[in-house]
Amino acid sequence: MSEVTSLLLTFLREAWVALAGAFVAFALLAGIAQMLRVSSASVLGANLWVWESISALISILVLGLFAFLGIPQIVSALQSSLPGAGGCGPISELGTLASGLIGGLAALRMLKAAFTTMLSASIGGASSFANALIESGEALFGMILASAAIPLAAWFLGTC
Amino acid sequence: MFDPIMEQILAIARDAWAFMAGLLIVVALLGGLYFILQGTAGMAFGGSRMTSMAIIGVVGLVIIVLFAFLFLPQLGEMLKNFQPKPPF
Repeated sequence: MSEVTSLLLTFLREAWVALAGAFVAFALLAGIAQMLRVSSASVLGANLWVWESISALISILVLGLFAFLGIPQIVSALQSSLPGAGGCGPISELGTLASGLIGGLAALRMLKAAFTTMLSASIGGASSFANALIESGEALFGMILASAAIPLAAWFLGTC
Repeated sequence: MFDPIMEQILAIARDAWAFMAGLLIVVALLGGLYFILQGTAGMAFGGSRMTSMAIIGVVGLVIIVLFAFLFLPQLGEMLKNFQPKPPF
C-alpha cells in the first residue's frame, strides 16, 4: 500500500511541477498580451481599454502570488488537519493513502483553478473567473470535509 | 512523465512570446509614427495642444514598451523564484 501511495504521490508531484511551470509561462504570455493591448489602446486613445488592461495585469500578478504563495500554505495547513491513520491494519494504511491522495488532488485542483482563473483574467472572461474561484473553494471545502470523514470511516469500519 | 509535454508547451509559449514581442514593437513603431505625424501637423498650423499631446503620447508609448520589456521578464523571474515545491 505504501508503494502505491508513493507512486501516486510522485505522479501528482510531477503534475504539480508541470502545472506550476505552465502557469509561469502562461502568466508571462498573458502579461505581454495585456501590454500589447495597452500600447494599441493608448495609440488609439481608448482610455477604458487601457485601464481594463492595467487592471488585468494587476490581477495576473495577484493571482500568480496567490497561486505560488497562498495555495501551498493553505494545502499544508489543511493537510495537517487530515488524520493520517485511524485505527490499525488495513484501515490505517487506507487512511494514510486517502489523506495523502486527498491532499495531493486538492492541491492540484486548486492550482488548476488558479491557472484557469489567470487565463480567464488575461482574456477578460468574468464568468470563468468566478467558476474557477468556486472550484478552488470546493477543493478547500472537500479537504475540510475529508478531515471529518476519515475518522468517521475508521470508526465505522472498526478501530483497534 | 510530464517533461515531454512541458517541453512542447514551453516551445509553443516561447514562439508566442517572440511573436507578441515583435507585434508589440511593430505597434509601438506605428504608434510613434502616428504621434510624430500628429506633432508635426500640430506644429505646422500652430496647434500647441495637439503637439504637446503627441509628445506626451510618444513618451507614454516609450514607457509602455520599456515596462513590457523590462518589467515582464523580471515578473517572470520573480514568479519562477516563488514557484513552490509540491506541498504534499
